[in-house]
Amino acid sequence: MEWLNEFGRRMRQLFRRKQWEDDLAEEMRLHLDLRAADKGSEALAKRKFGNAALLREESRGVWGWAFWDNLAQDVRYALRTLAANKGFAAAAILSLTLGIGANTAIFSIVNAVMLRALPVEDPRRLVELRAGNGLRKSPHVTNPIWEALRDSQQAFSGVLAYSDDRFDLANGGESHFSNGLWVSGDFFRVLGVPALRGRVFSTDDDRHGGGRSGPVAVVSYAFWQANFAGDPNVLGRTISLNRHNFEIIGVTPPWFRGLIVDQPFDVAIPIGCEPLLHTDQSALDHRSWWWLRMMGRLKPGETPEQAQAQMNSIAPEINRATVPTGWDAAGQERYLKRSFWLESGAAGISITGSTYKTALFTLMSVVGLVLLIACVNIANLLLARATSRQREISIRLAIGASRTRVIRQLLTESLLLAFAGAVCGLLFSVWGARLLVRLLSTKANNLDISLSSDLQVLAFTAAIAVFTGLLFGLVPALRATGISPNHALKENARGTVQGGARFTLGKALVTGQVALSLMLLTAAGLFLGTIRNFLKLDPGFNPHNVLLVKTVVPADRIQRQLRSPFFSKVLSDLRTLPNVRSAASSMMAPVGHDFWNQDARPQGYQRQPGEEDVLVNLNRVSPGYFRTMETSLLMGRDFSDRDTLASPKAMIVGEETARHFWPNQNPIDKTIAMDGPGHDVTYQVIGVARNAKYAELDEPLIKTGFVASTQDPEPGSEQYFEIRFDGPAEAVIAAVRPVIAAINKDAALEIRTLDERISDSLVQPRLVALLSSFFGFLALLLATIGLYGVISYAAARRRGEIGIRMALGAAEGAVTWLVLRDVAFILTIGTALGVGVSVVAGRFIKSLLFGLEATNPATLALAAAVLCTSAIFAAYLPAHRAAKMDPMTALREE
Amino acid sequence: MRDEIPPGTLYMLILKTLMRGSEMHGYEIANSIQQISDDILQVEEGSLYPALQRMLLKGWVTAEWGVTAGNRRARYYRLTPLGRKQLQAELAQFQRVNGAIQRILQTT
Repeated sequence: MEWLNEFGRRMRQLFRRKQWEDDLAEEMRLHLDLRAADKGSEALAKRKFGNAALLREESRGVWGWAFWDNLAQDVRYALRTLAANKGFAAAAILSLTLGIGANTAIFSIVNAVMLRALPVEDPRRLVELRAGNGLRKSPHVTNPIWEALRDSQQAFSGVLAYSDDRFDLANGGESHFSNGLWVSGDFFRVLGVPALRGRVFSTDDDRHGGGRSGPVAVVSYAFWQANFAGDPNVLGRTISLNRHNFEIIGVTPPWFRGLIVDQPFDVAIPIGCEPLLHTDQSALDHRSWWWLRMMGRLKPGETPEQAQAQMNSIAPEINRATVPTGWDAAGQERYLKRSFWLESGAAGISITGSTYKTALFTLMSVVGLVLLIACVNIANLLLARATSRQREISIRLAIGASRTRVIRQLLTESLLLAFAGAVCGLLFSVWGARLLVRLLSTKANNLDISLSSDLQVLAFTAAIAVFTGLLFGLVPALRATGISPNHALKENARGTVQGGARFTLGKALVTGQVALSLMLLTAAGLFLGTIRNFLKLDPGFNPHNVLLVKTVVPADRIQRQLRSPFFSKVLSDLRTLPNVRSAASSMMAPVGHDFWNQDARPQGYQRQPGEEDVLVNLNRVSPGYFRTMETSLLMGRDFSDRDTLASPKAMIVGEETARHFWPNQNPIDKTIAMDGPGHDVTYQVIGVARNAKYAELDEPLIKTGFVASTQDPEPGSEQYFEIRFDGPAEAVIAAVRPVIAAINKDAALEIRTLDERISDSLVQPRLVALLSSFFGFLALLLATIGLYGVISYAAARRRGEIGIRMALGAAEGAVTWLVLRDVAFILTIGTALGVGVSVVAGRFIKSLLFGLEATNPATLALAAAVLCTSAIFAAYLPAHRAAKMDPMTALREE
Repeated sequence: MRDEIPPGTLYMLILKTLMRGSEMHGYEIANSIQQISDDILQVEEGSLYPALQRMLLKGWVTAEWGVTAGNRRARYYRLTPLGRKQLQAELAQFQRVNGAIQRILQTT
C-alpha cells in the first residue's frame, strides 16, 4: 500500500507547487547564508553548494512533475512559435485537416460497414454459412437446403436464415417500399434480440403458409416511430405488405437494425409466409431458387474448425435430399459435391462493402497518398524554418539543453500541428462521411449507415495524427539539432546548415511529392476517362425521353388468362396520351441487373467449347418495343398483333447472336430451340436488331434474343412499360397514373425515367472520378507549393553566388537557367518515378476502369504535362526574381 | 585530502545522521556528516536537497518549519518509522557489500 501513500504525497505537493518552490528556495538560501557566514565568502559557499538552478530542477524531478512541466512549457512555446508564423501554421493545419479528415471519413465508412461487430449477443460466435464447391461459394441457398440443414445440423447451438426484399406498403397506385426481411422462426432467438414490445417470432410462426397466429410481422423501432409515432397499441394492428395483411406482433429494440448494416430493416416476416405473397409459384419447395442466406451460432467452446468438420459430414445427405430436378446429369453430379463453408459473420453484411469495396479501398489509398504529400510539404517547410531557427537552437544547445530535450520541443510543435489538424479533420470527416454516403445512395439503393464515431474511429484518427506528426517532424528536428552549436554559432545567420546534404533532402522530398502527385493525377485522369467513356457510350438504344413504368398486379386477384388483356389495355391507353410518341412493354427493362438467360439450340450450329457458347440473354417485349427504344431493326420485321399464342413462336435476335450462330448466312427463318416450361419451344427468327446493352452498361458484347409478349403462355404479374415522350417528364407521369388506376386500382406502380436508371448505375464511377479529381488537384496544388517553397528557398540562399555571377557578367537567361536546372532535375526524376509507380499501381484499379487500360499512354502523358507545366510556372517565379535582382544589393548583404 | 562520498550511500548517511540527532535542517545535516567523518567525507552540499525531497516522497522523513538559533526560518527534518526501517535495510546491505569487498582486499 506504500505506493498509494506515495501517490497521495505526490498529488498533495502538486497542488501546492508555489508553496513548494518557495520552501525549497528559502531552505537553500538559508544554507548558503550560513555557509557564507561560516567561510566568510559567498563565492566559496556557492562553489561548495553546486548549481542551485540545476539542483532545484533535480528536486522537482524527484516528484515526477518534470514531464508535465516540460510538456506545458513546450506547448506554450510551440503555440507562441506557431502564432508568430500564422501563415505557415494555417497552411499546415488546413492541409492536415483535409488529409486527416478525408482519411477519417472513408475509414469511418469502412469501419461501419465492414469492421464493426453487429450489436447482437456475442457477435464473434456468429458465422455465415456459404454453400458451394471450393472455388464458387455462394452466400445464397434454396429453401429446401435451408430446411434440411436446419433439421439435421448439430454443429451449432442455433441456425437462422433470412433474405432481404422490399415490401410495398401502398394499396395500389404508386409503390411505397419498405425494407423487408424474410426470416426463419429462430432468427431473433439465435441472434439474441428480444422484443421491445410484444414478442418476436417462434418456430410455429414459420410454418408453411403461416402458423397458428396467421401472417405475422415484427417491425423495427425506427419503422414503429416513423409510421406509428411510437404508438404503444401497435400490437395487433395490421400492415399491408404487397397488398397482403400482416398482424404486427412485436417491435425490436432501437439498437437492432438487422443484419444488413447499411440497409436497416423495417419489417420482418416469417419465411413460411412466402406462399401468401407469391401465389403464382412459391419458392419454399423450389430447388433452384437461391434466395436465402444462413448464419449459425457456434456452441460455447466450439471452434469454427470443429463446426466445419461437422458441416462437411452432413453435407452429402443434404445434397441428396435437395438436388434440383430438371438439371442435367453433369450439373447434378457437381451439385452433389457441394459443401458448406463458414465465414465470420460478426460484422453482418453490407451493400456498400460488397458493391463499393474496390472503390472504397482505392479512395482510401488516394486520400492516404494526399496526406503523405501534405506531410512531405510540412516537413519541407519545417526544414526551411529549421535553418532560420539555427541560431536559436544552437544557443539552447550551447547553454546546456540536451539534444533529446530540443528534439522533444520541436516534436511538440509538430504534434501540436498534427493534433490541431486531427481535431479539425474529425469534424470535417463527420460531414464528409455523410456526404459520401449520400453520394453513394441512389433511389433504388438507399444506404443508411450508422456513422456514429466510435472508439475505433477516434483511435484511428489519433493514430494518424501521431504518425503524421512524427512523419513530418522527426527528420527536420533531427536535422536541426544534429549540428555542433560551436560551428553554427561561429557562422553568420545565413548559410549555417550549408553543404549539399540539407539541400538534397529537400529536393528528394519534393521529387517524391512530384512522383506521388503524378500518380494521383493519372488515377484522376483514368477515372475521368472511365466516366467519359460511360457517358459517350452508345447503349444501342436512345435512353433520353423514355419513361419506365413498372406495373405489378396482385397475382392472386388477377388470373393468368386475364393478365395479357390487362397489360395490352394499359398499353393501348398509354399510347393515346398526349405527348406520348410511342409506348411498348417488356418483361425487363435494360440496365437493371436483371437476367433471363438460357442455353439455345440454334438450327445448324455445332456447339463449341465454352460455358456460354450457346447462352442467350432473353427478354419478352411487345410490338413496338424497338421503335420506342430506338433500336433499329437491321433485317426482318418487328413483332405484330398477328403473332399470337396460336401462331409459330417468333424471335428477334441481336446482331451478335446472328453473327455467332450463323456467320455469313441469312438468319431470317432459322430456328432456335430452348427449354420451355414443361416442354421445348422452337422459335423462328423473324428479325435482327442492333446490338444493345442488356443488363449493365459495362458488359461485353453478349448474345441477346427477344420473344413476343403476345405469345407468352404464362404471363407474370409484372410488366415494364416504356414510354417515349415529348416535353417534360412530370406531365407524362401525372397522366400515366390515372390511366392505369382506371383499369385496375390495385396495380402497384414504380415510375422513373430511363436516364435516371442509367445515371444510378454510374454512381460508383462518377463518385470515384469526382473524388479522385478533387484529391488529384489537391495533390497537384500541394506539390506545386512544395516545389515553389524549395526553389525560392534555394534561390534565396544562393543570392551571394548569383550576385557574383551577375557582377562577372552572367546574362539574365543564364541565371534563370541556373535556378530552373534544379527544377528540371526534380521533374525528370519525379516524373519517371511517378510513371513507374502509376503503371504498377494501375493493376489494382483495373476493375474500376471502363474502356481504357490502366497504362493508357495518353492519360499518363497528359498527367505529366499538367504536372510539369504547373511546376515550371511555380519555379519560374523565384528564378525570375533571382535573375532580376541587383547584384550590388546581394553582395552588400554578405 | 577530502573524498567524495561513495555513490548510493547518501541516503544512508542522512538517515543515520537524523537517527542520532532527532531533528535537523539541511545545513546541520551537511555539517554533521562532515564533522563526524573528520572532514574526510565531503558532500556536494546542494545534492542533499534533491535527496531530501526524494526521502520526503518515499515517506522516510517528515519536515516541519521551525526557527533556528539565529532566529531564521528553517525546515527541520525528522525520521519516520518507515525511515528507521529503511536505515536498517540500507545498513545491512552496506555491511554485506562492504564485508565482501574487505574479504577480497584481504586475500593475498
